[in-house]
Amino acid sequence: MRSLLDFTPDYVRSFERYVPSRPDPVLMRQFGVTHLFRLNNNENALGPPPLAQEAIASFPPERGAIYPSGDAYDLRQALALRFGKSPEQFLVGNGSCEVISAVIRAFCGPGDTIVTADKTFAVYEWVAQFSGIEARLVPLVNQALSPAAMLAAVTERTKIVFVCNPNNPTGSWWNRVTLERFLTALDGRSLVVLDEAYCEFLDDPDYPDGMEVIERHDNVLVFRTFSKMYGLAGFRIGYLYGSREAVDIVRRTHIAYSVNSLGQIAAAAALSDDAGHIAATRRMVDNAKRALRGLFDAMGLEYVCGAGNFIMVRTPLSDTLLYRKLMREGVMVRTMTGFRYPNWIRVSLAEEPAMEAFAKALPKALEHA
Amino acid sequence: MSEDVRVSLEIPAETAFACPMAGLANVLAERTGYNQRERYRFQLTVEEFCLCLAQLAEGRQPLTIDLTGRRHQLQASFVFRASNLSLGALNITSHASAAATAASAADVGLLLAGKAADRIRLKHQGGDRFLLEAEVDRAYPEASPVRIPEEWRPPFVIRSDSDAAQLAQAAALAISAYPPWQCPSCFRTPAKFPDMVAEGRIACVLACDAKGQTAGLMAWSPCSEQGLYFSGPFVFTPPDTTAGVARLLVDGFLSAVAREPYSIVLSFRATEDLPQASFETLGALQSFVDGRVLSHPVVFRHLREDNGLAVWCAPQLEDFLRQTYDRLALPRDILPVEAPSVRPRRESLLGATYDRVRNFAELEPFLDGEDLAENLAAHVAAFRRRGIGSILYSMDLAVPWEAALAGDLLQAGFVPMAVLPQGGQADKVIWQYAQLA
Repeated sequence: MRSLLDFTPDYVRSFERYVPSRPDPVLMRQFGVTHLFRLNNNENALGPPPLAQEAIASFPPERGAIYPSGDAYDLRQALALRFGKSPEQFLVGNGSCEVISAVIRAFCGPGDTIVTADKTFAVYEWVAQFSGIEARLVPLVNQALSPAAMLAAVTERTKIVFVCNPNNPTGSWWNRVTLERFLTALDGRSLVVLDEAYCEFLDDPDYPDGMEVIERHDNVLVFRTFSKMYGLAGFRIGYLYGSREAVDIVRRTHIAYSVNSLGQIAAAAALSDDAGHIAATRRMVDNAKRALRGLFDAMGLEYVCGAGNFIMVRTPLSDTLLYRKLMREGVMVRTMTGFRYPNWIRVSLAEEPAMEAFAKALPKALEHA
Repeated sequence: MSEDVRVSLEIPAETAFACPMAGLANVLAERTGYNQRERYRFQLTVEEFCLCLAQLAEGRQPLTIDLTGRRHQLQASFVFRASNLSLGALNITSHASAAATAASAADVGLLLAGKAADRIRLKHQGGDRFLLEAEVDRAYPEASPVRIPEEWRPPFVIRSDSDAAQLAQAAALAISAYPPWQCPSCFRTPAKFPDMVAEGRIACVLACDAKGQTAGLMAWSPCSEQGLYFSGPFVFTPPDTTAGVARLLVDGFLSAVAREPYSIVLSFRATEDLPQASFETLGALQSFVDGRVLSHPVVFRHLREDNGLAVWCAPQLEDFLRQTYDRLALPRDILPVEAPSVRPRRESLLGATYDRVRNFAELEPFLDGEDLAENLAAHVAAFRRRGIGSILYSMDLAVPWEAALAGDLLQAGFVPMAVLPQGGQADKVIWQYAQLA
């Protein structure tokens, strides 16, 4: 009799399933704490903007019986209005992870490759691997994506280059000139995905707006999310912006009806009310960043801190052991071994009580290290 | 693409097929370029296991056999079903007790049947299904003395694309600079190492200086579905640069495996150059080498976050487990399990792996039975007769009946040495027979 594995392609057999963290009450019981500060997923501690919160609170329960808009019609209209684009140039997914899958399915076939960094958001590499597509990984240079090395990795079989801008977890980013030179040198030999999940945390005129870049380079696709700045991670809303032709192709491999109604409504409301929320979030992140940089400097710890609501620090003991020790103090961080940064942790930048709890827990956890 | 030569077939579990199978084994060994002695050993192994399993396997169930010729090794795998009545005979020591009762071919236990193999492994695949693997290694020339370079040119960098000559040289450097017990056995015959790397049986990173000279080496291979076993770091540069090269190697190793489907990395033979801060020490195993007792720290680290497990625990082990989990800050729900009041069957069954080259044996329980205490003693005695000094026993705390055997193990002279987080389905306790040979 054949086993289930006999029916499974090699590239799925060898793939590791992702194990998400357990719910907070379970973790608190396991680690014996009464409160848990979640500093592991770069969520926005301020929550969603006020209008989004109102929209969530006023959602009529009977709407739960009705299917959502299959292509997030109203949300795409809202995105078009917000950015002055056509609704047909947007595709909304169940988080950007779903959009990544749709893009790889749409453009890559057997024998094709994608190019991305070795130390970046892992999902590009994962989706490629479990789809049977080779991921060519390019080392960072000085904690930043290297345009030259990424260009060198592109072959005639490369269909997509993923550029996380700003990069998670280093926070480094390509400025306008760097991106423009890269795209010019690439000369349309492959698609380029600009993952701008953390773009709203940047307030620098030199940061290139991917939606504007597409006006000159129609081989570019832009990913954005409502999970970070907009505080709607629990609803899983990500979206893609591209040329009409590119979006039409991706739509063919994208599962309709994957985005829930309440998330669509909340995201649309968030867009119409984001100025104050973005300003408040940036203030919170700046304050937290200042506090943690001071902490790490005082402790003599190496850290990497760029754009985005996170900071990465090198620890003098195993990151997975430090994780457990911090959990015992009620602080949850992200270990970085899986990002190929062994013995580093990433800490989300949040409100003062959480940062104070971390600042108190870290020296205690590193005692005797 | 794999260069392995493989033959797979099903045969009736009848002794008449043993001789043709042996012939097939010889053809495969010849086809993959093995010398006469290795071919003969492989042929003998296949024939004797076919004979033995024909006696043990259920009459109507076929025997599934895979013969594989690799660059460095010939392997025979046998999948078979065995009824409850005959399970006791699967213990590799069964000949010892069976000899007293009857003298048929069936009494030739697996240990005897596998005498021509370099190592054998028996795995329980659930129910009455078993997998037996026997391996015959290719003979490679022993390591010749090598000279460690005297002049180095920094900076040192990690290379993961080294050629066969460089890998063989790195293995030879390691075996000349470090005690043999700290090296994978393939380093003793350095040409074997690149063959195993090419076959994906072992992986490594090398550190090189600016002139391309090999400055260090770290190697690893899977030891379970969740774990990777590493050796090293082996560093060949002067003391003032040792720590930096070791750090490079460890970071290169962890980066290489970070997104592989493993949860932990561990070693019982890490070198003193291992950056201690990157790992956790779980305990220590003992061995008797060259007339003195050596302590081998069990070093470990997770590759991802550990957010807790439930484990079964017998009363005799509870203090040890609680202290260990507290020291390691591991969140665990400890579920009590009592020693069995009635054994489920007469004959117990232990899985056994032994390696003559490494002077090392490991037992794991497959089935509990009334004769467990005698069975443990028989295995210890059998290993001792073969001169194997270190006898380990692993207990998976995800399996309640396994955890319940703690009292039996203590009585049999085993001592819990370390808890291996996520080393099995859940955590594993590594026991060691207290008296070293």
